[in-house]
Amino acid sequence: MVSLSTSAFYDRSLGQMNALRVQAEDLNRQIISQERLSRSSDDPVAAARLRTLNRGERLAQIDQSNSDTAQTDLKLADSALGSIATAILQAQELAVRAGGTLSAEQRAAVGQEIAGLRETLLNLANARSSGGHALFGGQTTGDAYSDTGTGATYIGTGSVDPAHLGEGQTVLPGFTGPEVFSIDVNGTTTDLFTVLGNLAAALQGGGDTSAATQDALAGLESGLTKVSTAQTMTGARLNWIELMDNRRETTGELVAEEKAAVGGADIASTMVRLQEAMTVLEASQASFVQLSNLSLFNILR
Amino acid sequence: MASDLLSIAASGARAARSALDVTAQNIANASTEGYVRRTAVMEEVAVAGGLLRNGDISLSGVRVGGIDRNADMFRQAEVRRTGSDLARATTELSGLKNVENALEKSGVYESIVEFEAALQQLSSDPTNPSLRAAALGAADAMAGKFNIAASGLEAAGEGLRFDAAASVDDANTIAQELARVNLKLARAGEGSSDKATLLDQRDMLLERMSGIVDIKTSFGADGAVTVTTGGQTMVTGGVAGTLASATAADGTLNFTLDGTAITPGGGKLAGASLALTEVASARTRLDTLADGIASTINTAQANGVALDGSTGQPIFGGTGAVGMTVVMSGGSGLATAPAGSAAGSRDAGNLSAMRQALEGSGAAQGMSTLLFDVSSHIAGRTVTHDALSAIASAARTELDQMAGVDLDTEAANLMRFQQAFQASGRAMQVASDIFQTLMGIG
Repeated sequence: MVSLSTSAFYDRSLGQMNALRVQAEDLNRQIISQERLSRSSDDPVAAARLRTLNRGERLAQIDQSNSDTAQTDLKLADSALGSIATAILQAQELAVRAGGTLSAEQRAAVGQEIAGLRETLLNLANARSSGGHALFGGQTTGDAYSDTGTGATYIGTGSVDPAHLGEGQTVLPGFTGPEVFSIDVNGTTTDLFTVLGNLAAALQGGGDTSAATQDALAGLESGLTKVSTAQTMTGARLNWIELMDNRRETTGELVAEEKAAVGGADIASTMVRLQEAMTVLEASQASFVQLSNLSLFNILR
Repeated sequence: MASDLLSIAASGARAARSALDVTAQNIANASTEGYVRRTAVMEEVAVAGGLLRNGDISLSGVRVGGIDRNADMFRQAEVRRTGSDLARATTELSGLKNVENALEKSGVYESIVEFEAALQQLSSDPTNPSLRAAALGAADAMAGKFNIAASGLEAAGEGLRFDAAASVDDANTIAQELARVNLKLARAGEGSSDKATLLDQRDMLLERMSGIVDIKTSFGADGAVTVTTGGQTMVTGGVAGTLASATAADGTLNFTLDGTAITPGGGKLAGASLALTEVASARTRLDTLADGIASTINTAQANGVALDGSTGQPIFGGTGAVGMTVVMSGGSGLATAPAGSAAGSRDAGNLSAMRQALEGSGAAQGMSTLLFDVSSHIAGRTVTHDALSAIASAARTELDQMAGVDLDTEAANLMRFQQAFQASGRAMQVASDIFQTLMGIG
């Protein structure tokens, strides 16, 4: 004879209903949190994969932020280079005018203007990046050039720290001073500040200025070439950053997809499973009540 | 002696009363723990005819021969064995879950990633004071998380040891109780309800004992039990041994019975022992990770110069996960520039080296592997636990089918014995009628 003892019946019903409740609550948690796993042991392999994906995602966020900084710095450098080019063009115009028929006073006035341009150029050379450092100073924390009255001395460092864009790729977010301002005139290395300083001094000093003007024009010409080369390089670097940004975005989407596939709770199937668990729970509660009423004592009078 | 209708009927009524008592007792104890269903055993009372009166009718009614306990030794042993296994698996699993909680919920892995991220962020502008402070803050947070994880593990171990100590005390109490029950059993009369109660007690104590430590049992003729565990005698007759536990240096437990070392193979004690081994191994691995990170970073620091151009000083102090601290006071001490750089250098050469060293040392990967090992261990143990739980509940159901009280059966018995009582009463009535008839003749 198989007879189930009464206390075993209650114990077992309780256990089964508890198990169903736990299952329903777990499914409910999955729907609320949108995550299938509440602890690693729910699925160790998926949890380990999720950890790696999360780490990659977190580090990619920093890559993105570093890349944004580099982009801002390069845009600042680009606009500074644009202003520098304008200043050089103005200087060229003035130098050409100074080469024409002008009185000594007029020449001196032009010289004054050129001296002013030299200072503008010096200020542009010391323009700051988003982090407050000189754009054209390499790794220095202060100014790139210090004024010597007629010229300027480069006080920055000889290289630029590369910005990391992730996946081992880097970009140089700035220039060293010599990369923009150093020029070669008749075999001698000089810089734009000295060229302008010398021209201003010659024009203000009076006398024959044709030789000085010629030298300055040659210097300004090669200076302009140098600056536009730097502008081209800036454009190329900005393109590179954009390319890496796009790449990071695509990778990010893939990672998000994989995360959802590995650790996400699928709403539809979770809902269906919850509904199933609820139905079974309700049915077992109803049948429990029916069964527990089914005692002979209720019938025997 | 000739048959006597009245006395036969009276004995029937008495027996039915006794059977009703037993039924009522069963109903009253339907949910009493350890109660085994009783049955009144009826015996016919028949007296053989005397000399030369072999053909005589000699019916003398019925009597209750004894109170039967519907216990099955084999099934009870199965319940104890499977219960022992289940208790071991449950304790081990809950200990392991505490280990997982300590390692995972403390967020050590995330804090390592955050530290890596902060160093990476710093590389965009190595002299930026807020980025430096953020990196040092991340280092501090990471050290804190390691401390939390280590103390979580310590607490998990402490809890397991506390439970095990309480279980050892329990086991000793139960052993003494068993010895006392053994002595009482020797004096109880066979088939008496007193004996049945003592046997109930004995079986309940044995079941509780098997939840603590795996036991082997053998029973004497009077029902007295001899309990052995790990080859050592725990209870025999009226003598109970003493179980004791000692904590080793690494936090694991050793058990002795009367001074002889034993290794529990089941029950809570075995589970606690297994879980504590896991705690100790997790702690060692966590310490190794913490020390690895600290020495990697401190070595990298020494290879570079701080913001003021001086040689980099260690960031981390202390040993092990529990002792890990940040000893550097300000973010300016981070040695981002390579050795020989001037003060205020934005050269991030040493920072890159530091990041590479940290990634190369596999700090994050190591933590992830530790979590994976513990969690996959739990996943495996959960399967074992579920299987053992099903086996134990099957064994329990088997036993309950025989030993448990089913109220429907008892209700039917109640009716049956009530009818038997009424029938015997009717028989007495008949005897009285016959007597009256005989008296009427005269």
